[in-house]
Amino acid sequence: MRRFLTASLLLAVGIALGLASAWWAVKRLDGLAAAAAGGPWRTSTLAGSSSADLHTRAAVAVGGLLALSRKETQYFVARHDSAGAPLRSRCRYRVSGAPPAARWWSVTAYADDLFLFDGVEGRHSLGSSTLALDPARRFAFVSGPSAPQPSGALPWLPTPGDRGLVLVLRLYQPEATASNELPLIEALEACR
Amino acid sequence: MTALQRWLLRAAVVLAIAALTHLLVLWALPRLVMQRVLDGVQADPGHFRSGVMLPPRADATQRRIVLPSPDLLYALCRFDVSDKPLRVRAAPGRSEGREGSAGGNLGYWSVALYAANTDNFYVLNDRQAAGRPLDLVIVPPGSGAVNAAPTAAVVRAPSARGLVLMRVLVAGSDAAALEAAEATRRSLRCEAG
Repeated sequence: MRRFLTASLLLAVGIALGLASAWWAVKRLDGLAAAAAGGPWRTSTLAGSSSADLHTRAAVAVGGLLALSRKETQYFVARHDSAGAPLRSRCRYRVSGAPPAARWWSVTAYADDLFLFDGVEGRHSLGSSTLALDPARRFAFVSGPSAPQPSGALPWLPTPGDRGLVLVLRLYQPEATASNELPLIEALEACR
Repeated sequence: MTALQRWLLRAAVVLAIAALTHLLVLWALPRLVMQRVLDGVQADPGHFRSGVMLPPRADATQRRIVLPSPDLLYALCRFDVSDKPLRVRAAPGRSEGREGSAGGNLGYWSVALYAANTDNFYVLNDRQAAGRPLDLVIVPPGSGAVNAAPTAAVVRAPSARGLVLMRVLVAGSDAAALEAAEATRRSLRCEAG
């Protein structure tokens, strides 16, 4: 009886250790790395990597399932503005910069649960096909709970409610220099 | 056996079990995740057209996969080539159609093939296709010479089961952009070949 108990205990401890270390290994790899340009944008260098080893493949299955390779698309995630303050949906931000060197790009607003906002009438993202460039060939838009006044001043990316905000920049078929200069995210007024 | 030896043996047994569990979890995790995706493609009869699933465009009601892209339309089909190969065809609209608004470059699409362990083993985009229709025959691993149609490219899958995923960019906020993308994804065909 005592031998049986000892054996069961050893088995349980072994399995628990194995599960914990597997969980740790996947979470460690899943972490988002800072983008080359610094600033608030983070990117996963793992997503879509092929011929991956056991650990990488498991991490991708959890964190970036069915992603394409970084030659095909790149994703950058921002949870903070350029000054380092956490993004909130009830605050207004000016997002601006040079258009990334990619075939097509867009910025999408997500709530902090990483799903799209409700009640924005399909206006989930702005990007190269919806934003006009100014004479200096730069773009700018405003995100926030209400449209910028006077209307038409800058394009508007609606972020209703009062919750955490996540902006995702997607680059389709990016050039090698695409992440050298990523957009600025500036709070339009003090907002906590 | 001394007490010390007994403890060393126990520690070795625990470590061996831990290592085995670790490897088993990491091996099984991607396969389980992929199985769930493949089951989902089968279990959703609402958006099917001749074996191809055409999920609605992502909005706030889509809460199954995080960070859904509202810029893309998808078309999916599962494959199981253990008995016979699968022919995958698509005739997307020409990509040179409406380039140039605000520097945008319209008409991106890609077809990616994923194995049962989530590996992306094949991808073709519209630039590589260069205006030609897509025509693939997926054959199982280790199969010999393939008797495929002469126009089709043969792709050897690393696993008998897997997923075909087509992405089509909705390049603009107008109805015409949506219509063009919709037409392109509806051209996907997955048939026994």
